[in-house]
Amino acid sequence: MSRLPAGRRGAIGDMCPWYVSPILLLFLLATIAPGVSSWGHVPAVHVPNAAPAPAPVPVVDRSAQVITDDLGRPFARPDRAPERIVSMAPNVTEILFAIGLGGRVAGVTRFCDYPPEARRLPRIGGLVDPNIEIIRSLEPDLVIAFRGNPLRLVERIGRLGLPVFVLDIGEGLEDLPPLVARIGRITGTDVRAGELAAGFRGRIEAVDAALKGIASRPKVFVMLYGQGLWTCGGESYLDDVIERAGGTNVASALPKKWALYKRERIIRDDPDVVFILSRSTADFEAGRDWLAGMAGSGAVSAVRSGRVYELDEDAASRFGPRLVDVLDRMAALLHPERFGGEP
Amino acid sequence: MSRKTARRIFWAACFLLCLAGFLVSLLSGPVRTTPGDLIRFIGSPDPVRSAIFLDLRLARAVLAFLVGAALALSGAVLQGYFRNPMADPFVVGVSSGASLGAVVATALGFEAAAFGFSGPGLLAFVSGLGIVSLVYALSLRRGGFKVETILLTGIAAGALASALTSFFLFMRSDSYDQAVFWLLGSFQLAEWGQAATIAPWVALCLVASVWLARDMDLLALGDEAAQALGCPVRRVRKAFLAMSALLAALAVAVSGVIGFVGLVVPHWVRILIGPAHRTLFLASALAGGTFLLYCDLLARNLLAAELPIGVITAAVGAPFFLYLLHKKR
Repeated sequence: MSRLPAGRRGAIGDMCPWYVSPILLLFLLATIAPGVSSWGHVPAVHVPNAAPAPAPVPVVDRSAQVITDDLGRPFARPDRAPERIVSMAPNVTEILFAIGLGGRVAGVTRFCDYPPEARRLPRIGGLVDPNIEIIRSLEPDLVIAFRGNPLRLVERIGRLGLPVFVLDIGEGLEDLPPLVARIGRITGTDVRAGELAAGFRGRIEAVDAALKGIASRPKVFVMLYGQGLWTCGGESYLDDVIERAGGTNVASALPKKWALYKRERIIRDDPDVVFILSRSTADFEAGRDWLAGMAGSGAVSAVRSGRVYELDEDAASRFGPRLVDVLDRMAALLHPERFGGEP
Repeated sequence: MSRKTARRIFWAACFLLCLAGFLVSLLSGPVRTTPGDLIRFIGSPDPVRSAIFLDLRLARAVLAFLVGAALALSGAVLQGYFRNPMADPFVVGVSSGASLGAVVATALGFEAAAFGFSGPGLLAFVSGLGIVSLVYALSLRRGGFKVETILLTGIAAGALASALTSFFLFMRSDSYDQAVFWLLGSFQLAEWGQAATIAPWVALCLVASVWLARDMDLLALGDEAAQALGCPVRRVRKAFLAMSALLAALAVAVSGVIGFVGLVVPHWVRILIGPAHRTLFLASALAGGTFLLYCDLLARNLLAAELPIGVITAAVGAPFFLYLLHKKR
């Protein structure tokens, strides 16, 4: 410290507080200003230049050319049908293949295993951790994202100049046909997607018709085996599927999509039927045995009567075409009398 | 080996490692690229390579470097401030406060981006600074200014913020994956905008801390001694605390909470080139940036899926730190 001149005041001692704050304020403005102009207003969704977008767009034309995605952002339909589609969710992949667009899918997530052909496509990563670099390198002309993808990541992809369309997770089965139709509209396959959507609607209505005037609604508990008593709450679309299949979800009152159920509650609620979501028969059997061995489960009607059934976890947990199969199976198991005999 | 030589070697190694780190960052990633690709790209840019090299890899490397520099500088300042080798940006509650803000924003769906930050980033920044101001105000209330009081208040406030964070995570299990980003840190979504937002502040704080470094040297003698030697202790303390809080809050706002950098890097530097604060601040910033650059390289290339960077910083930093500590003692 001997290097310091005697009586030296520290650098800040010479600094008058009154001019420090204005300088800092200016500095703040200087850093914020470019922020606002250069990246604050970059549209998250890329609108291709080729799409006609004159200022006074007639209302009719607009509805034909510009649609909004489920985040409410405008998306201009490209002139040509997209050739390289990246799907960021397994249910989107399943819908694309069901429409017959399998050949145009350029990339899928590592969870996209259905239909089996999807497994051979380039992987972009997972649902919450897709790799932006890989997506960009695939040079997609359409990226279909889902609400399950982190929003910030989806926006980041949009800012790279890729056209991103974000779809919401449906609240019930009635949202499935419109979802299919929307994917048809953005991929330029309106007709085929419309037919597919109409087919789904027909099957859903057929179940409704078959169940008209049922005498009882069995209490249903859906169990996601492997993590304790995880089940689908009232906000889940599976809750709606159970309702349409002529049952009542015992966890319907829980205001969540998925929730951990308490053992005491399942004994009190006493479900008539238990569906175990599982990936394989071995999985299902392990889950059924675990349930049977759970303390107090002997008091549960479903366990006593043996009405514990397997449900394909992937089909039931993806808001895609196979959800209608889940509805058919569930309805047939809950009301065998309406669907011709014993399940 | 004289201290001077050691210092020269240290600076040269840091610069070389830093340059090499940037180069490797540009060349490595899930999409295979060779040095030839990079040279061809510089010759004739195309949109895909431009997006991969510049918008994704370079922006990410630059942001990682800046955040590393900010955290290490913040840690170096706080260790001097508290005269305590355990101090880091977590100690005054900045990190816990900022992660609370981010998690609350995520849980409430507050997503509006502003000033180059995302919604949660903005709230993280504000609550990180807010908690430090609160800690500071509370410490002042107990008559006079005591370093021990601010340290303990900070730890208590940080614990409270962590508890609230866990509560919000528990209530909104849907937003869990986004919360992991805030709690363990990631540069996956790095953008030029974020780098441009924090760069001027990091530079400003670096310049200011180097300018005030002698006062920090005086503080090491104790507040009374420093005051007697002409250091305006209270103002210097205030400036340093504000700077370290600002740096840590900025870092958390763009990349989530990344531990260990602020704690360990200043120690490395002190062990290698000595405790004088002027060089310590400069060298900590450079070494911290370089360290985080390499950690991010590991985070994105080690496994097929991205690892949270907080996992890497601790896993790589701790053993190296132990080695240096025991070699020198």
